Amino acid sequence: MDTVLKVEKLRKNYGNLQALKGISFEIQKEEIFALIGPNGAGKSTALRIIATLLSPTSGEVEVLGFNLKKNAEKIRERISYLPEEAGAYRNQSGIEYLRFMATFYASEPHTIEEFVKKGAQIADLGERLYDKVGTYSKGMVRKLLLARALMTSPQLAILDEPTSGLDVINSLEIRGIIREYAKQGTTVLLSSHNMLEIEFLSDRVALIDNGVILDSGTPKELKEKYGAENLEEVFRRAVI
Amino acid sequence: MRKFWNLLKKETKELINTQLIISLIFTFFLFYLMGTLVHGEMAKAAAPQEIAVWDLDSSDLSLGILKGLSSANFQIISLTARDRQEAIEKAGASNVSLLLIIPNGFEKSVLELNSMSLDTFYFIRGFSVSATSASGMVKSVIATVNDYVSNSYIKEKIPGIDPEELKNPVKNKDYVIVKDRIAEGSPAEVSSFILSQSTFLPIILMLIIVYSSQMVISAVAMEKENKTLETLLTVPINRNYIVVAKMLSSGIVGLITAGIYMVGFRFYMGGFRGNVPTSGQIDTVVQKLGLAFTPQGYLVLGVSLFLAILCGLAMAIILGVLAKDLKSAQGLLMPIVFLTLIPYLISLFSDFNSLSLPVKILLWIIPFSHPFLAFQNILLGNYLPVFYGIIYMLVVFAIMVFLAARIFSSDRVLTMQLQLKRKNLGRIKF
Repeated sequence: MDTVLKVEKLRKNYGNLQALKGISFEIQKEEIFALIGPNGAGKSTALRIIATLLSPTSGEVEVLGFNLKKNAEKIRERISYLPEEAGAYRNQSGIEYLRFMATFYASEPHTIEEFVKKGAQIADLGERLYDKVGTYSKGMVRKLLLARALMTSPQLAILDEPTSGLDVINSLEIRGIIREYAKQGTTVLLSSHNMLEIEFLSDRVALIDNGVILDSGTPKELKEKYGAENLEEVFRRAVI
Repeated sequence: MRKFWNLLKKETKELINTQLIISLIFTFFLFYLMGTLVHGEMAKAAAPQEIAVWDLDSSDLSLGILKGLSSANFQIISLTARDRQEAIEKAGASNVSLLLIIPNGFEKSVLELNSMSLDTFYFIRGFSVSATSASGMVKSVIATVNDYVSNSYIKEKIPGIDPEELKNPVKNKDYVIVKDRIAEGSPAEVSSFILSQSTFLPIILMLIIVYSSQMVISAVAMEKENKTLETLLTVPINRNYIVVAKMLSSGIVGLITAGIYMVGFRFYMGGFRGNVPTSGQIDTVVQKLGLAFTPQGYLVLGVSLFLAILCGLAMAIILGVLAKDLKSAQGLLMPIVFLTLIPYLISLFSDFNSLSLPVKILLWIIPFSHPFLAFQNILLGNYLPVFYGIIYMLVVFAIMVFLAARIFSSDRVLTMQLQLKRKNLGRIKF
C-alpha cells in the first residue's frame, strides 16, 4: 500500500502550552483514518499542521512524499481541508463559491465546470445553490463546504469534525458522502469527538488525549484489545 | 496569474456591496444638494443689494451720494415718509436689509466741515450666508459716502487736483520673488491662489489613505469573522498573492470611493466659490514665477501620492491580521487615521519650514507626510526632498510588505491577535 501521510514525533507549542507532545502515525492510500478524542485533545492542531496552516514546533510531516516544511504549496495542490468552524463568503451564491474555489485547482474552463458540477451534486442543494450563502442554514453551509472539499477529488481530504453542529439527518448524509468519496480513491483524515460516528466511518482510528496518541488500530482491533463494546468505552479504558 | 485574478475579482466584489453603493450615492447627493443650496445663498449675497434711502436733504451732495451708491453695486429704493418711524416701517415692508436716512442740512454741514452723522438701520431677518454677509453693507455704504463727500470737498477747494492722488500720495508696487524668478504681484494673492489650488490635495490624500486602509483591515477581519480565512489559506495559491489581491482591491475601491467623494466635495466647495473664474492677472503672475505644475511635477507628485497609499495599505493589512472580527477592525484603523491626521492638520495650519526640528523629524518619519510636503516643494522647484521622501516611502513600503508576506506565510496570520488587557473579573472564593 502507498503511504499518503506520515507524521513523526510531531510537537506543537502555543507559548507554554504543549498542544501536541510528539505524535506519530501513518495513513495509507484510500484509507479513512480518524483522530478521536475529547475537545482540546490536540486533534484540530494536528489537522491544521497537516493542512499547512500551522507550522510544527518540531517533528516531521510528509504528505504524498512532500515534506511539509519545504513543499507546503505542492501539498496544498493535492489536499483539501475542511475546518471545524468554517464559513463561505456570504455575498456569493453557492454556485459562485464552488466556481471561485474550483478555479484554484484547475486551469482549463471545462475542468473547472466539471468540478463545479460535481460540487453541486455533492451539496445537493437544488435551486438554493443559486441563492446567497448568507441565506443558508448551518447544515446547508456545511454541505456546501464539504462539497467544496471533495469536488476536486483531492488525494487527501482533511476533515475536522465534518458533522459538527449538524442534526442527525444531515450528519448521516455527510457520512454517506465521505464513504462514497473514499471508495472513489480519496484518502480521508478526519477528526471527531463523536466516537460512534467514527466507528461507523473509519478504517483505522487513533485515540488522542492531552496531545498524546494513546493507541491506534481498526475499531474492531481496539474493541477486542480493551474488551469494550464501542469506541467510547475503548477511549475511557485507554485514558485510565 | 489566473488564480490571482480570480482572487482579485472576489475581493473587489466583496468590497463593492449594496451598503457601500447606497452610502456613496447618498453622500454624493448630499454634497450636491448642499453645494446647490450654498451656491444659491452665495449668489444672493453677490447680487446687487437693495437699500432704502430717505433723503431729507435732496441736495446736490445727497444726490451725488445716491449716484455713488448705485455705481458701488447698490440698488436704491427712494422712500418718502412723514417721520422716521414711518420710514422704518416702509423700509421693513419693502423687504430691504438696510435703511439709510440722509438728514436735512447734510450738504450744508459737510461744506462747513461740521461732522454729520447718517443714520443706518439694518434689518436682521435670518442668519443665512446672504443675510449675514449683508451686514458688511453698512460699512460699505458709509465708506462710499465718505469717499464721495471727501472727493467732492477736495474738488471744490483745490480744483485741478485728483482727489485720489491727494488722499494717497505714496503708492507701492509689490514684487514677488521665487528662487531666481521675479514678477509684479501681491504676495498675499499669490499665496491665496496657490492655497486655493492645493485645498483638495490633503483632503483627497486623507480620504484615499483612510478609506483604502479601512477596506483592507475590514477585508482581513471579515475573513476571520466569517471563518473563511483558514480555507483560503489552504488553497493552492501563493500567500503573497492573497496579500497583494487584498491590497489592490482595497486600493481600487478606495480610489473609486474617494473619487466620488471628491466630485461631491467639489460641488459643495463650488457652491462657496460661486464658480467664479480666476482672474487672468494672477494666472500670469503665477506662470511668471514658475509656480505652475509641469507634467514632470504632476508625475513626481503622483508617484509620491501612490507610494503613500501603498504604505497605508501595507500597514493596514498587518493591522487587519490583529483584528479578531469586523468590530475590532474599526478600532485598529485609528493608528492610520492619526498618522494621516497629523500631517494633514499641520499642512493646513503651518508651514513645514517654520516647524521645530523634533516636529520636522516626526513629520519625516510618518510616510503619509511626504505627499503633503511634496506639493509645496514641487511648486518651488525643490525636487531633492521630494525624491528623498519617495525613497523613504519605498523603503517603508518594502518593509511593510515583507512583514505582511511573512505573517501570511506563517501561522501568525491565524494566531496573532491584539492582546487587550483582560478585565479583572475576580475569582469566586469557596
